[in-house]
Amino acid sequence: MNQLVAPARSLDKSTTPGALFSTLSIPIAILVLVVIGSVASPSFLTVNNLTNVLNANSAVGLIALGMTFVMVSGGLADLSVPANVAMGALVTLGAQESMGTGLAALMGLLVASMGGVVNGILIGYLRINPIIATLGTGSVLLGLSQLLVGGGIVYAQPSALSTFVKSSILGIPVFIWIFIFVALILHPLLARTSFGRWSLAVGGNYQAAQASAVPVRFTKAAAFAMTGFLAGLCGVLLALSNGQARPIIGTGYEFVAITAVVIGGTSVFGGNGSVLRTVGGVLITALIGNLIILLGFPSQATGLITGAIVLGAVGIDAYFRRKAGRL
Amino acid sequence: MTTESTPAVALRMTGITKSFPGVMALQDVDLEINEGEVHAIVGENGAGKSTLMKILAGFYQPDKGEIEVGGRKAIHWTPREARSRGIGMIYQELNLVPDLSVAENISLGAMPTRGPFVDYRAMNAKADAVLRELDTDIDPGTRLGDLSISQQQLVEIAKVVARQPNVVVFDEPTSSLGDKETRVLFDVITKMRDRGIAIIYISHRLQEVMEIGDRVTVLRDGRHIETRDVAGITPDEMVSLMVGRDLNEMFPKFDLGLGEQVLAIEGASRAGQFDNVTLDVRKHEIVGLAGLVGSGRTEVARALFGLDPLEEGTITLAGKVLKIRSPRQAVAAGIALVPEDRKGQGIIPGLSVRENFTLPVITRITNALLIFLGKERKIVTELADRLKVNPPQVERPLNVFSGGNQQKVVLGKWLLSEPKLLILDEPTRGVDVGAKADIHHIIGEFAQDGGGVLMISSELPELLAVCDRIFVLHEGVIAAEISRADATEESVMRAATGQEVAA
Ligand SMILES: Nc1ncnc2c1ncn2[C@@H]1O[C@H](COP(=O)(O)OP(=O)(O)OP(=O)(O)O)[C@@H](O)[C@H]1O
Ligand SMILES: [Mg+2]
Repeated sequence: MNQLVAPARSLDKSTTPGALFSTLSIPIAILVLVVIGSVASPSFLTVNNLTNVLNANSAVGLIALGMTFVMVSGGLADLSVPANVAMGALVTLGAQESMGTGLAALMGLLVASMGGVVNGILIGYLRINPIIATLGTGSVLLGLSQLLVGGGIVYAQPSALSTFVKSSILGIPVFIWIFIFVALILHPLLARTSFGRWSLAVGGNYQAAQASAVPVRFTKAAAFAMTGFLAGLCGVLLALSNGQARPIIGTGYEFVAITAVVIGGTSVFGGNGSVLRTVGGVLITALIGNLIILLGFPSQATGLITGAIVLGAVGIDAYFRRKAGRL
Repeated sequence: MTTESTPAVALRMTGITKSFPGVMALQDVDLEINEGEVHAIVGENGAGKSTLMKILAGFYQPDKGEIEVGGRKAIHWTPREARSRGIGMIYQELNLVPDLSVAENISLGAMPTRGPFVDYRAMNAKADAVLRELDTDIDPGTRLGDLSISQQQLVEIAKVVARQPNVVVFDEPTSSLGDKETRVLFDVITKMRDRGIAIIYISHRLQEVMEIGDRVTVLRDGRHIETRDVAGITPDEMVSLMVGRDLNEMFPKFDLGLGEQVLAIEGASRAGQFDNVTLDVRKHEIVGLAGLVGSGRTEVARALFGLDPLEEGTITLAGKVLKIRSPRQAVAAGIALVPEDRKGQGIIPGLSVRENFTLPVITRITNALLIFLGKERKIVTELADRLKVNPPQVERPLNVFSGGNQQKVVLGKWLLSEPKLLILDEPTRGVDVGAKADIHHIIGEFAQDGGGVLMISSELPELLAVCDRIFVLHEGVIAAEISRADATEESVMRAATGQEVAA
């Protein structure tokens, strides 16, 4: 830390309690979950179980990484995620026969990204409320995907790409590698680049950012385009590894992603957040889901418990903001 | 105000101590306010004035200390409790709803009802009574947004007065008001005082304190320094108590040779805001833009910066005719604007001082991909040092800094962009005497280094001291161009009030 000369009446160099809370709380929460898990079940702390848990959460984790930018830049949330996941998956499998798997997957990514770009234009440039806009594009796109496949299932053909997607490198599944790779790109994008700084500024005070020569509309739009792309990537990966896809393939993913971002301590009000913390949020949600099953609770309890945690996290965020005088 | 008998104490705060992480904001501060007195509080930026008032209003809990209102100790001191015990607060920023009527704004949060419904008749009657008490002719049925800023401020006051407070705090109420509006405000304050209300008045304008205050308390570095009768103190004494040293030069003026034209505006118009404005700024020159509140000063500045583009007329910057449609284009062309509305358009509250400083120029301190954090820190540390940002902790979020220090950061942000033309809209708003001299120095240096400055200020002495030339706007039209030699408070005021037509 580059600490400046402290003024005479400075007490210490600690940050605000809110910041302290969110820096330390994630590792602590993970540790607590791991301890509970190992006590609760001997099969919890095994390489096999943990790899499976991470593997199962990597695809939706990608969306959380994108959703971080949406929230940071004051775009609230992208509710069109399930539609873009479905688009990515269905286009890939639908076009597989005519184009070959590689090109079909690119098509899937492209179509989902287009969905994200449309969101970006509606929200960033036309300034439509993000919830309304993504709810709208989401139902249009989902309806379109259902029309495409007639509500049924599309099956994949065997291909080298799907074999690769299901394989492991150095004992770690490809899904996890992809998640790590994307996180390693997006973390510095938010923390260390001009674009990242713009995102934080736009979410912190839109008008002041605009008056400070920040390309506010582009910044907001880009977050949604990025999330559309990552939702598409999630869909492509799931389709190839499952060997099939249905329009409902991404149902609920928007909430899982929002949960992870919020648990990671990114504010729903915009203006702060970090991709690394979202990675922490993904881990925590993954472990909670796993524990619920290991402890023998019905899996339906997952929504209840994570929902309660989200409310708690948002409440604490609001509390510290209030205390810091940002009412 | 001296009365025969000992005046009753309306409010007593004793031993108030409050620390924030990293900063001791208040240390063992005592304050006693009598009924029917105007008690001024002065102190440098960050001295703790606003913090003390937020404790009084129940927004912050003190670490130590006691509050006594009307002889009763305050316990469980929350904003709601403070309000119900008669504490009223009037902040610099208005907290009103533009789309509601004046009466609705006044009753907001305490609407009179009849059964489950709002009793509009009672509400209007109440608003009418309060407004009359304040001696204004504002119609309670008007939409708030249709009022001028000073009228809105009166509504804000009416809102507080309607709750029948015993103590009313004004935290820098005049920084966005012109002379005329300030007069109106002082009348209102005097009236409230004469009705026995205890008034706390915070301002950096010491002349105002001399005029309206009965007693004055000086805070420095979070400590209570002294409380004196205003009759027995001079502004100079106040300043030295505030800064703990003597301050000699208040308005430094560099002598500069004039250079070529930086800015020329010709025939600029925007319907309903300003009409056929022609003015110019040269290198090394500080040009003032004077006028009453609402005369179109801010609107001209906003148009130059691309916030509300011109409808007619041309802008020429350093010889090139520009069509400026957005702040991005303005900044790219070499124009910077320190806005009047600091909270709304100046600062990103949650970002650190460092991040706020470099926001407009961030792409200049990156390689193809990443920000050079080391270089950024170095630039920012030097700048914070030069501007005397206090406390000098550039990693702290800007919203925890005092108003004056936030203002320095906004100014510094634009200095970093190295503009050709620096537009300043009320650059020393909410800034203390010492920092004000600092800011004038910085503006002077900027001009010396070859920049041109267009400066708007409601404080005439400031304009007269700093500017080489002054353009005066009256109802959107340039009424006069006055050279430094001819500029006096009188000549500028005459033009601003439309008593003198441009030659
Ligand atoms: N919420 C907060 N968190 C951390 N520090 C704070 C907070 N609020 C105020 N401070 C610090 O407390 C000190 C006193 O600030 P305060 O706003 O009371 O000053 P002030 O006298 O009102 O100054 P100004 O004249 O600039 O308005 C400053 O150093 C400020 O940075
Ligand atoms: Mg203050």
